[in-house]
Parts: sequence; C-alpha cells; structure tokens
Amino acid sequence: MSEAPSVAARPGSRNLVEVVLRLREAGVVVFLVVLGLAFGLATDRFLSVQNLTTVASSAAILAIAACAQAIVLITRNLDVSVGSMMGLVAYLTADWAATHPGITPVEVVAIPLMIGTVLGAINGLLVAYGRVPALIATLGTMSLYRGFTYIYAHGQEVTSSRLPPWMLSSVDARIGGLPILILVSIAIVAVVAWLLHAYPFGRRLYAVGSNGVAAWFFGLRAERVVFFAYVACGFLCGIAGLLYAARVGTVTVVLANGWEMSSLASAVIGGVSVSGGSGTVVGAALGAVVLATIDNGLVLLRVPEFWRMFIQGAAIVAAVAVDALIAEAIRRSTGGRRR
Amino acid sequence: MSTSAKRQLPLWEMALVVAILAAGAWSSTLSPYYLSVDQLFGSTRAFIIPGLLALGLAVVVSLGEIDISLASIIAVGTVALSKLSAAGVPFAVAAPIVVAIGALCGAFNGLLVAKWRLPSLAVTLGTMGAFRGLAFIAGSEVGYTDFDDVYLWLGSDYVFGGVVPVSLILFALAAAGVWFLMHRTGYGRRCFSIGLNPDAAWFAGVDVVGVKIRAYALAGALAGAAALVWVGQYGSARGDNADGSILFVVTAVVLGGMDINGGRGTLSGVVLALFLLGTIRNGLGLANVGGPTQTVVLGGLLVAGVLRPAAAAAIARLSRPAKTREARAQGE
Repeated sequence: MSEAPSVAARPGSRNLVEVVLRLREAGVVVFLVVLGLAFGLATDRFLSVQNLTTVASSAAILAIAACAQAIVLITRNLDVSVGSMMGLVAYLTADWAATHPGITPVEVVAIPLMIGTVLGAINGLLVAYGRVPALIATLGTMSLYRGFTYIYAHGQEVTSSRLPPWMLSSVDARIGGLPILILVSIAIVAVVAWLLHAYPFGRRLYAVGSNGVAAWFFGLRAERVVFFAYVACGFLCGIAGLLYAARVGTVTVVLANGWEMSSLASAVIGGVSVSGGSGTVVGAALGAVVLATIDNGLVLLRVPEFWRMFIQGAAIVAAVAVDALIAEAIRRSTGGRRR
Repeated sequence: MSTSAKRQLPLWEMALVVAILAAGAWSSTLSPYYLSVDQLFGSTRAFIIPGLLALGLAVVVSLGEIDISLASIIAVGTVALSKLSAAGVPFAVAAPIVVAIGALCGAFNGLLVAKWRLPSLAVTLGTMGAFRGLAFIAGSEVGYTDFDDVYLWLGSDYVFGGVVPVSLILFALAAAGVWFLMHRTGYGRRCFSIGLNPDAAWFAGVDVVGVKIRAYALAGALAGAAALVWVGQYGSARGDNADGSILFVVTAVVLGGMDINGGRGTLSGVVLALFLLGTIRNGLGLANVGGPTQTVVLGGLLVAGVLRPAAAAAIARLSRPAKTREARAQGE
C-alpha cells in the first residue's frame, strides 16, 4: 500500500488550486454554451448543423495555433511570431509543392514540420540560451520571418491551380460526416494534452513556468525546458501552417497575419495564464472555439468587422482580469503573501 | 555591478554616435543629395511619430512594464481629431483635447496594470486591439481627409527659412522634457527604483500605483501628440493609422540601452537610437531597398540590441576563468 512520495504528499491547498483550475475550464465551456444559445436565439441559422460545422472548421486551425502558444505561455514566455512562422511555413511548402509536381504526401507533411521546428528552435535559442526577453526576441523574429517570406516570394502568390489537387481535396474530405480538418485538430490537441499530462516534459513546463528558481534548485534545466517548449511551438505552427495553406488553396505572403494575436487571445480566454505555470492546451483549444463562435455569430448578426477587433481585445483584458481575481482568491485562501 | 553598469552606458551611447556617423557616411555615398541641410532635416520627419511613442515607452519600460498599445492610441487620436475638425473646432482647442484623450487611454492601461496588478503585456495586447477597434467604430472605413490647413501645420510645415520641420521642434521639446523628468526629478528616480525593485520601492514609501498610472498616462499623451503630427504628415485619419509601427518603437527603446526588465537606461540613448534607426532607414530608402528587407534589417537590429548584454556576459564568463588561472599561476 505504499504510494510514491510525490503523490502522497499533497496538502489541502493543492486540491483547492486544482478545483479552481477545473472550474476555470468548466467556466469556458459554460460561457461557450451561453454564447451559443444567445446567438441561436438571435439568428435562426447559427444552430444549424452546417453552420456549426463551419464554426468548428474555422476553430480547428486556430486551436492548433493556440495549443502552440499555450505550451510557450505555460513556461512564462510568449511567442508573437506564431503568425509569421505559419506564413513562412505555408509559403515555402506551397512553393515547393508547386515547383515539384511529383511531390509525395510524405514530403508535403515532412517539409513544413521540419521548417516549423527549425523556426521554433531559433526562437528557443534566443529566449532560452540568449536570455533575450521573450517579447523582444519573438517580435524580432516575427518581422524576420515575415520579411523573409516577402523577399522569397518577390510579390508572387502560389495559386491553388499550381498545387497538387490531392493536397487541397484531402482537407475537405469527410469521415463519418465530419470534415477531416476538425478530426485532425481534435487528434492533435488530444495528443499534445496527453503528452503534457503523462510525460515528465509536461510537468517540467509547469514547474519552470510557476517558479523558475525553485525548478532550478530542484535540478531542472530551465533553459532546456524553455528551448524545447519553443521547438514544440514551432512544430505545431508547422502543422497549422500546412493545414491553413491546404484549406485556403491560394497562399499569399500575408497568410496568417495577426494570428499571434488570435492565438494569444484563444489561450488567455481558455484560462492559460500569461504569468506562467497554469492552464492547459485543452483550455486553449476551447478558447479558440469561443473566438470562432464570436466571429461567426457577429457575422451572422451583420455586425461590422471592426467590432471583432474591439471584442477580441476586450475579451483578452477580461480574461486576464478573471485570472487575476482567481489567483487573488487562491492566495487569500492559502494565506500567501500578496506580491 | 552598479559601477560597471554606469561606466557601460556612456560607452554604449558613444557606440551609437559612431554608428550614426557610419550610417550617414554610407548614405552619402549612395546619393549626392544626401548631405544637404534640407535633406538631413527633412529626413527626420520619418521617425518623429515613432520617436514620440518611444519617449513614452521608455518611461514605461523604466518601470519594468511594457505598453504595446501606443500605436493604436495614435489611431484613436487621429479619429478624434477628425471628429473635432468636422465639428469646426479651432485647432488650438482640438489639439489639447486629443492629447488629453491619449492620456486617458494611457491612464486606462495604467489603471489595469498598476491598480489591478494585471500583466502589462497581456493588458496592452488586449487594449491594442480594443483601441484600434474603437477608432474604427468611431471613424468610418473610408477615413477622413477634409482637414483644414491649420490642422496640418504641426505635421507638415517648416520654420527657420523653410528648413526645420515644426514637428522636429515638437519632438525636441518633448525629448528634452522627458529627459529632464527622468534624469533630473524625483519622479524619474522613483520610476527607476520601481523598475529595479518594486517591493523595495514600496517599502521606501513610493506610491507605486500612482507613479505607474502617471507613466502610462504620459506615454498616452505623447501618443496623442504623435496623432497630431500624423494628421499633419498624411492628411488623413483612419482606424488603421500607424498599424505595425510598434516594432520600430520597441527596437529604438531596446537599442537605446533601456533594460527591458526595468530600472536601467537613459533617454539620451533612446534618442540616439532613434536617429540611428532613422538614418539607416533613410539610407536603405536611398539604396532602393524594399520595405520587407527594411523590416528584416529592423528585426535583426532588435535581436542584436537585446543580445548585447548576453554577449557581454558571455565574453566576461570566457575571460574570467583565464584570469583566475593566471592569478593562480602567479600566486604559485
């Protein structure tokens, strides 16, 4: 009947924290349901199967990007080059596919994953080993990656007619009535969530993010953990970039412009704290669904597009405020000192 | 540590001066018209708007905080000015109102960051979208271009024989004012002390919340002033004004030697970095280098600017063991 010491030693406050965190994700689901009902009452079309599939499809790629962002956020860093990485990956892959007619599906998947991993590794080197603050480093690489896409493209776009037809049709295929894009996205989020939950790497992400100094004393190599968080982020951005390219067909140099903002918004709305150490990738994916639902509902309600920008921004501030309130409540109940 | 940091700063500023001269020399080889007084003064107009933002951001960064919503406050300011212009308000009345609106936007950020203790990056990321959305909602998609000539004076006219842009004088006054505030007043001292150690500053009786809110309000007010210059330079007001200019602003502040974690840096470094970036961009323009390549250069400079302390530390680490080995050898 002997338990591992790490499992046995679990003070009451820890349980409270876990309950609150569960509530945070349940809160996102409740908010989503309320939002869905409100839009359903306001417009007839929102709750139709066809429209809900549209919402899920547009949330699918964002959920992967939000997942990527969440991994980095958990380590108390952030990545504002997510959109630029997706754009560069998508353009290079589409250009390669267009200029090499005999390309195989294996290559089409392997190339973006490799490019994404390399781009993420550059970010990771700068932040983890160069000790550059995450915002500055990724703001720099955001413009470097996007600028490189512009220079490489010479103002050209890759049109869908130049891509192999199977590449475009595969994302539109359906399995059991559901678009494959949605299934792939759910599978990726589930695998990442499982990896973070079941493997030491996931625990280390949380350890470094919640208290870097304590993690260091405990013997964790924080640099390495942060580095691999960025590598994982780049890898997932590679997947997201490939799916985006296949979905839109025509790849331009501004593809996924501004996605750093929406991926951050999704993660924050889904309960991933920008102060690190808390939140889950499932929450981030749920946040992406919330954003896609808001977008879709506003379009159906014929609200001008500018309101989306305002609402998305306000949602980030509101989500951050909610997290601060929760953190304050936890601090008070555990008798912690206020900063 | 503190003495070496003090000794480093003038050195860095000297390096910036040398870099400016080098960039200027390079530019003069590209075009015979580069080294004319008209051109030199006129080219400064390209960085006055981000420059005003950088002055405000430097104050916020000295606290160890960040504000990436400043470019969006410009959009709020230009749209507000267009409304006042359409209502026929005289510029002398409209200008202070726009600056005050900017200060209000900034104070709102400051309230969320200081009073509610929310992380500044996430908050200003949110308000970056929210302010720009507001500007779009208040203005229209089409934009407004029917500004009276009086409204354009600040951003478009020249004085002293038609050589010095009016906006350059505004920038010089603002830079001198912020420099005085940060390096010659108690308020500046309190800003740097908060940036170094907020807890210690609080225990020493510094009104941390008040100082932070005022810093954000100042940055917002400077963004409001930048909106006035924007309208003068471009003659239009639209929700997407100054979109994406935050990269240039952050680069200037970081390259100018402000520690992004707060507590260290000088305003003179920031101003020098602005001149350096302006000269480089002007030179790249003369050399017919396209916008995307300029962005890549800017991003590379930003990364290089922040890698500087890390590189210095690495060199110090490499040289230290060698020294001790020598010392040991001498001791034996």
